[in-house]
Amino acid sequence: MDEKSILTINVVTPDGSVYENTTDLVICKTTVGEIGIMPNHLPLLASLAIDEVRVKVDDENFDEIAVSGGFVEFSDNTLSVVASAAERKETIDVSRAERAKQRAEKRIEEAKNENNDIDLRRAEVSLRRAINRLNISKH
Amino acid sequence: MPASLQEVKRRIESTKKTSQITSAMQMVSTAKLSQIQKHATSYQVYATKIRSVITHLSKSHLLDSVNTTSKNSDGKVNTLGMLRQRPVKTTGIVVITSDRGLVGSYNSNVIKETLELIENNHHSTEDVAIIAIGGTGADFFKKRGYNVAYEYRGISDIPTYKDARPLVEAIVSMYDKEVYDELFVCYSHFVNTLTSEFRAEKMLPVSAENMGHDDLTSNDEGYSIEYETEPSEDAILEVVLPQYAESLVYGAILDAKTSEHASSSTAMKSASDNAKDIISSLELQYNRARQSAITTEITEITGAQAALE
Repeated sequence: MDEKSILTINVVTPDGSVYENTTDLVICKTTVGEIGIMPNHLPLLASLAIDEVRVKVDDENFDEIAVSGGFVEFSDNTLSVVASAAERKETIDVSRAERAKQRAEKRIEEAKNENNDIDLRRAEVSLRRAINRLNISKH
Repeated sequence: MPASLQEVKRRIESTKKTSQITSAMQMVSTAKLSQIQKHATSYQVYATKIRSVITHLSKSHLLDSVNTTSKNSDGKVNTLGMLRQRPVKTTGIVVITSDRGLVGSYNSNVIKETLELIENNHHSTEDVAIIAIGGTGADFFKKRGYNVAYEYRGISDIPTYKDARPLVEAIVSMYDKEVYDELFVCYSHFVNTLTSEFRAEKMLPVSAENMGHDDLTSNDEGYSIEYETEPSEDAILEVVLPQYAESLVYGAILDAKTSEHASSSTAMKSASDNAKDIISSLELQYNRARQSAITTEITEITGAQAALE
């Protein structure tokens, strides 16, 4: 593998860098669909869905990282995933996510009763985040 | 004065104990300061990234901020509204203070400067919505009859984004709900351990001035590449803008906390130094009193002996 065909991935959150590695394939889900990024891709900006980012380690294995939205920026064979929160599969706190899920469900109920659109939207987002974490941790 | 001997001794003891406490608190603050500084560096990476992307994306929008108007379809909140100037009815002011005292002039500085800011802009108590982070500020503004729209106490000493998230989200969402039409964040910016300066930054709506400050031009070069965007620039902006606003507020909280620890550490250091001074002067007083007691005793004994002979 010559040097040009490697890309560096870096997942940054406000609490620091969560993941750093080199790979030749990253699969992530944008708000419109799944996208695979390989070395020498065109410079790219894409918004991410609340889902996982998969980084190829070897032929069979992928590192999985749960991201809560955010975006990816790719240039010069460096892929930056910028998200407000991201966790590696191994570090997901299942009980916390479980609690967050229940809390979000309750808030959705409340917001629906009060007809509060913004609160409802926010609660739905947090519910999606929690479900995403739970899903990934169960793989 | 033999009577005060005991008293002076007691005062020395109590001052010593106080200085033990203050020096312990100083050490705690110093440790927290170095911890939070480490944290702030990792946050910087994130902030720079998000800022450069947003600068890149919004360049076209900032030139003609008119075209970001009215895209309100299906009742969904248009986050691009964050770029739009609304007629200002209410000004939101986030005041970041500490929950506890013993931080020197940290709180009073922030509050004083904030009041000045409010007065200079001729706001009355009604058209200002205070968002108080930290108990001291909350109590102060409530007492003065300001409209405290939101208060948050008990933020952790080294706030991680995870902890602060509900808070910053609430602040940004209040802008969406039009609780206020512009947002200032007033906090004490950490310069170094001994100095901090008051800062009032306008964070919402996002505009050219508050984006990237002075390094706007230098960032341009690095991000002049044409990006392929997915789905569209607008759609990405819609995701990135709230994230950006939230990260700005978080950055301010982090900065304020850093400054709080620094000022607490300095305050405790000067308290310990003062205690040391008091102890040494008290010790002098104590020794003098002891000496004079001994002298009196000797005079008494020799006097008695002379009388016996």
